[in-house]
Amino acid sequence: MSTFKAVAGYLPGLKAEELQWQTLNFSSRGDTLEVAVPVLSPAQLVALAERVRVASRRALKTMSVSQIIAVVDRVIARLLDPGDPYRQEAEKLLPLVTGYDPEMVRLGFTGYLKTFRAPQLQRFVAEDFANPKILDEFQPIQKGGMARAFGPELMVHIWAGNVPGLPLWSLISGLLVKAGNVGKVSSAEPLMASLFARLLAEVEPQLADSLAVVWWKGGDAAREQALFGQADLVAAYGGNDSLAQVRGRVPITTRFLPYGHKLSFGMVGRAALDARRAVSTARLAAYDVCRYDQQGCYSPQVFYVERGGKVAPQEFAQYLAHELAALEHKYPRRILPLEEAAGVAGWRQTQELKTFSQTGASLIGEAGAAWSVAYADAAQPLAPCALNRSIQVMAVDSLEDVVPQIAGQRAFLQTVGLAAAPKELFRLAEALGQAGVTRISAIGAMTAPEAGWHHDGRFNLLDLVRLVEIEQSAENAAESFAPYQD
Amino acid sequence: MANVKVPESLPQGLATELVEALLAFMAQQDSTEDEFNLHALRLFAHQFQHNTAFQRICQLRGKTPRTVRSWRDIPAVTINAFKELSLSCVPPEDCERVFMTSGTTRGDVRGRHYHPTLAVYDASMTRNFSQRFMQGADRIRMGILFPDEVVMPNSSLAHYLALAMREFGATGSDYFLGPQGLDSARLSEVLAQVQQTGEPLALLGATYSFVHLMDELQQRGQSFKLPKGSRVLDTGGFKGQSRELPMEDFYAQLSSMLGIARSQCLNMYGMTELSTQFYDAGNATLPSVKSGPHWIRSRVVDPLSGKELAPGERGILVHCDLGNFNSVTTILTEDVGVAVEGGFLLLGRAAGAQAKGCSLAVEDFLQAARA
Repeated sequence: MSTFKAVAGYLPGLKAEELQWQTLNFSSRGDTLEVAVPVLSPAQLVALAERVRVASRRALKTMSVSQIIAVVDRVIARLLDPGDPYRQEAEKLLPLVTGYDPEMVRLGFTGYLKTFRAPQLQRFVAEDFANPKILDEFQPIQKGGMARAFGPELMVHIWAGNVPGLPLWSLISGLLVKAGNVGKVSSAEPLMASLFARLLAEVEPQLADSLAVVWWKGGDAAREQALFGQADLVAAYGGNDSLAQVRGRVPITTRFLPYGHKLSFGMVGRAALDARRAVSTARLAAYDVCRYDQQGCYSPQVFYVERGGKVAPQEFAQYLAHELAALEHKYPRRILPLEEAAGVAGWRQTQELKTFSQTGASLIGEAGAAWSVAYADAAQPLAPCALNRSIQVMAVDSLEDVVPQIAGQRAFLQTVGLAAAPKELFRLAEALGQAGVTRISAIGAMTAPEAGWHHDGRFNLLDLVRLVEIEQSAENAAESFAPYQD
Repeated sequence: MANVKVPESLPQGLATELVEALLAFMAQQDSTEDEFNLHALRLFAHQFQHNTAFQRICQLRGKTPRTVRSWRDIPAVTINAFKELSLSCVPPEDCERVFMTSGTTRGDVRGRHYHPTLAVYDASMTRNFSQRFMQGADRIRMGILFPDEVVMPNSSLAHYLALAMREFGATGSDYFLGPQGLDSARLSEVLAQVQQTGEPLALLGATYSFVHLMDELQQRGQSFKLPKGSRVLDTGGFKGQSRELPMEDFYAQLSSMLGIARSQCLNMYGMTELSTQFYDAGNATLPSVKSGPHWIRSRVVDPLSGKELAPGERGILVHCDLGNFNSVTTILTEDVGVAVEGGFLLLGRAAGAQAKGCSLAVEDFLQAARA
């Protein structure tokens, strides 16, 4: 039982004593953590935004994308090094902040960071820009003329939630397009972005003023309006309610990129349901469920399982339960706050009641267990479970039958973990894509998107930039004004 | 004091002796743990035998009358079950009254609580109300800020308030909420009148109706100093029916606008799924301690394990109400509470936890479905 202290935020040019501070308290597994978070006044936020904008113009915007990638690569190398003090701090504090099992955080963090090494970042850039040099200088384009992609002068990030490391996606994206970045961390996980920013400044002091990490209690109108007024682009994460509120405070001339909460699910085809493969598929599925206790937008909330395999859907539900029980030993679920525990309990009771009215329905897992599997013998519309390792398995006659069940959730769909033969994979991908799904992964890889993935089907980098074109006519006309013109 | 008797004709399957014994038990001044236990176990055996839906819940949890030795072991039934199942020992169509939940939280599915006779509910309500709200007075002039039973025949609160007015209301008691909403003009006349005559007035109604009243009075620039002995009973919270304000501000404003001390502003905590109510002793300080009569007992539990928590720990409230002789005695609420000396603190609702991450949570989903 120990008490740790940490400081969140990264505020170039501001001294601690010029700021007001608040404390956020966390506790997990008997240890407690006090995180001091800075509270800037609206005027301080505006001044900070100006400083970041000016500095990024001077430092970041004069670097080539390759040079920026090299810097990020050095930062990531430090974070991947088990002996590095920043890595050690992250490993110590993130489980305390989020409550997730330390070993799960460590493994997940490593896997996640690996997607930000130089080769992966190059792929990331190449994914959006056929010619990445377009971020550095004017380049010839297909239709004729030249173009150059300019990142925002100032990009504001509103991060949410407690999935460790999530802010790094948008922050690194901002850096790659050479934006000045001011990110607001969430009260649920205020540390990772702060650590990253500090380490970046240490690795490349020239970039020290090109980014900042701030905090305020979500929904603060005065601060949001002050900072958004300075931004070219606001990227915000959160539930639709809070996004709507944020959108209302973003000036109409500022680009707004909302990333709402998403609903993901798995599909297991009969090809994956022979005696051998069913066990390994269930193991991978259980892993996707346990990872971050389903808090990620890519985490499965339902598995649709096809009938007709050697292993019946109901047996698959049993296998899944078995694997969840095993994983609970290896990576115990975090201690749930009362409200979430009540949510899980309520969901369990609803499932229990369903077993009275629906033939073949069952609920697997004791009331006190840290996981539950609800089984339904017929497909039902996709709906969220209670998260925190609660999962619904539904039998379908054919995987095709899933498509109508997800239609109502179009706006929320994201990842599908799919276990099926190649021919089916491509046939289903077509239908799933039409229904609104944006990512199809292997089961077991649902929570680890590839480097360069198109988050929610959008372009991570292209969406951030402004293309400036020199049309052919300008180039042609310029010829006539050349001093060497005959 | 109401004189409640067992009606002469009761539906078949209703154990008349059970009801009689229960009414006699409720008439006692107090009861010991053993006496409470005896009645609770008797009712449990009865409900287990006569209600198949409940029996299945018990069997799922491995509980039968043979294994349950204490009221604490009786399986707690989630209030959601009142929506999904028919929790009644007699056929629902034979029941004198069915109370339904407002259906505000989950679409149009409404929980149903079947009462073969209202004798027990009424006895429970009147004994408890007399002691906790009337505080020794026989009658008091009442203003009810809620629709009457004709408008809302399935509302337990409408029945509760009608009963309060019938059994304890003095001449001049009246309803001030009609189809057009709060009749604030007529109410403010009454407020002015009693202020002059010195007759104490009790205002009773939904918490949100008091917000409407305060808003109206504020708009008219009116405030009152009601005579000594006047009091307020609010219940149920805001339910999205009015603007929401912190309870501290609610009682401060109520007290200053009506001139009633906060110690005379009582909050009643009741549920459609119960037959007995809880009261505090005024809201001078918040949160106030809630408690019920000797025929209801509450526990604070961990929602996942169902284990009882130590006093001072936050958990979910479970109530064992012997007044629920026909449905189920023991219900698991969605209310967060803490056990304290003399009762419990009610700390709000646990439902609607937001996702911590970016996964769509049930609450967001329902909201989207409603939109």
